[in-house]
Amino acid sequence: MADEPEHLLLRRYHAARAQGNDPEAARVWERLTLRNFDRIKGLCATFRFAGGTGLPPHETGSAATEAYLRAIAMGAAFEAREIGQYRAALVRVVWNTCHDYGRKELRHEKRSRRLDTTWDDDGEGGPYDAALARYDEHLRAEAEEAAEAEAGREEAERLARWGIAQVRNDNYRTVLELTWFEKLDADAIAGRLGISVDNVYQRRRRGMIELEKILRAPRD
Amino acid sequence: MPPETDRILSDFVDAWNAGRRPEVDTYLARAPDAERDALAGEIATFLAFAPAPDYDDAALEAIRAEPAVLAAAAALETPGGLWPQLLPRLRERAALTTGDLAARLVSTLGLRADREPKTRGYLEQLEAGALEPRGLSARLLDGLARVLEVPRSALEGAGAVAAPPAPALFRAEGAAADTLRADLDVIADALAAPAGSGWDDVDELFRGGAR
Repeated sequence: MADEPEHLLLRRYHAARAQGNDPEAARVWERLTLRNFDRIKGLCATFRFAGGTGLPPHETGSAATEAYLRAIAMGAAFEAREIGQYRAALVRVVWNTCHDYGRKELRHEKRSRRLDTTWDDDGEGGPYDAALARYDEHLRAEAEEAAEAEAGREEAERLARWGIAQVRNDNYRTVLELTWFEKLDADAIAGRLGISVDNVYQRRRRGMIELEKILRAPRD
Repeated sequence: MPPETDRILSDFVDAWNAGRRPEVDTYLARAPDAERDALAGEIATFLAFAPAPDYDDAALEAIRAEPAVLAAAAALETPGGLWPQLLPRLRERAALTTGDLAARLVSTLGLRADREPKTRGYLEQLEAGALEPRGLSARLLDGLARVLEVPRSALEGAGAVAAPPAPALFRAEGAAADTLRADLDVIADALAAPAGSGWDDVDELFRGGAR
């Protein structure tokens, strides 16, 4: 039987911790992180240092294993309650781990290519910290009027929705929404929008590039 | 942007959303050399925020069989937690033997040089899962993080996910239980307290806990 959705697992993790049931919290956290194993592995494979160098191929698997173990350890005290924040924390763990792996071989390179101003070389920051900080401000600003959070995928994806909503081009934004929230494939999106599949490919990629700029923008 | 790279990114996204567990390297290999790093960045952006796929049973079983996942699952069932998995990895990545790590730790924490063998013994116990992680002191975690060049947060949770030690069982009833209960309380207090003359700064590091 397929496992529960991520946001429900995160909610159960917090419920177990609130009840002081640490063994149950650890088990639920492990299930949640297992669902994200491929994300961790994939992020390790996309990691690049300054100049475009990735980890040596023979070390990518080891880095993914260590990042996974560190992600499991993160469950000892994880405070954030939104699944988007959990994913951002995973990104931080992966990039810290990959950076640690490359430290010896690439000690002369002080910064990762895409980490630029948002990345603290020796600290524990992550590439999306600025976006998370801005998002936290956004959450605080609307806190008074926010109704109690409802379970459901839409609620769980608020961080991604917040980022995608800032994509200015309507065409790109629509394709990203159909990709992210309805998980439609390229053919289905082409059919839904009455455009060619090549057009979907193009809008998806350009939308993704714009989204990356939004999420990596330094804090105002 | 070359249309082929647009398509590769879309193929990856569709495979991910369908739960087919796409390998990033396979998709990057399809991209022209000049586009590969850009594509890696775009896949990273997608992976950072994409919902996890609705994996079917076969996919979940395959993930559970991954060595890292097996290791983590085993750690939850053992009192040593993640330390036996994590510490040897971090140590080997730093190109240190257990003896080297002990020496660096003794130096970093300003301990006397003759504390090195005892420190090494404790590190070996930690790697073997024979040491209760809740006894590790904050000072030790700081020292290990510095020597191993990792954030302290990478170490803090390693023991917290450990299975609790098996509780001692006390089986007695009636008068016998009443007679023994007070004695057991005294013994338990004595066991929980630091040892007297033999207790030194290395014991404090590895068994003194957060105090």
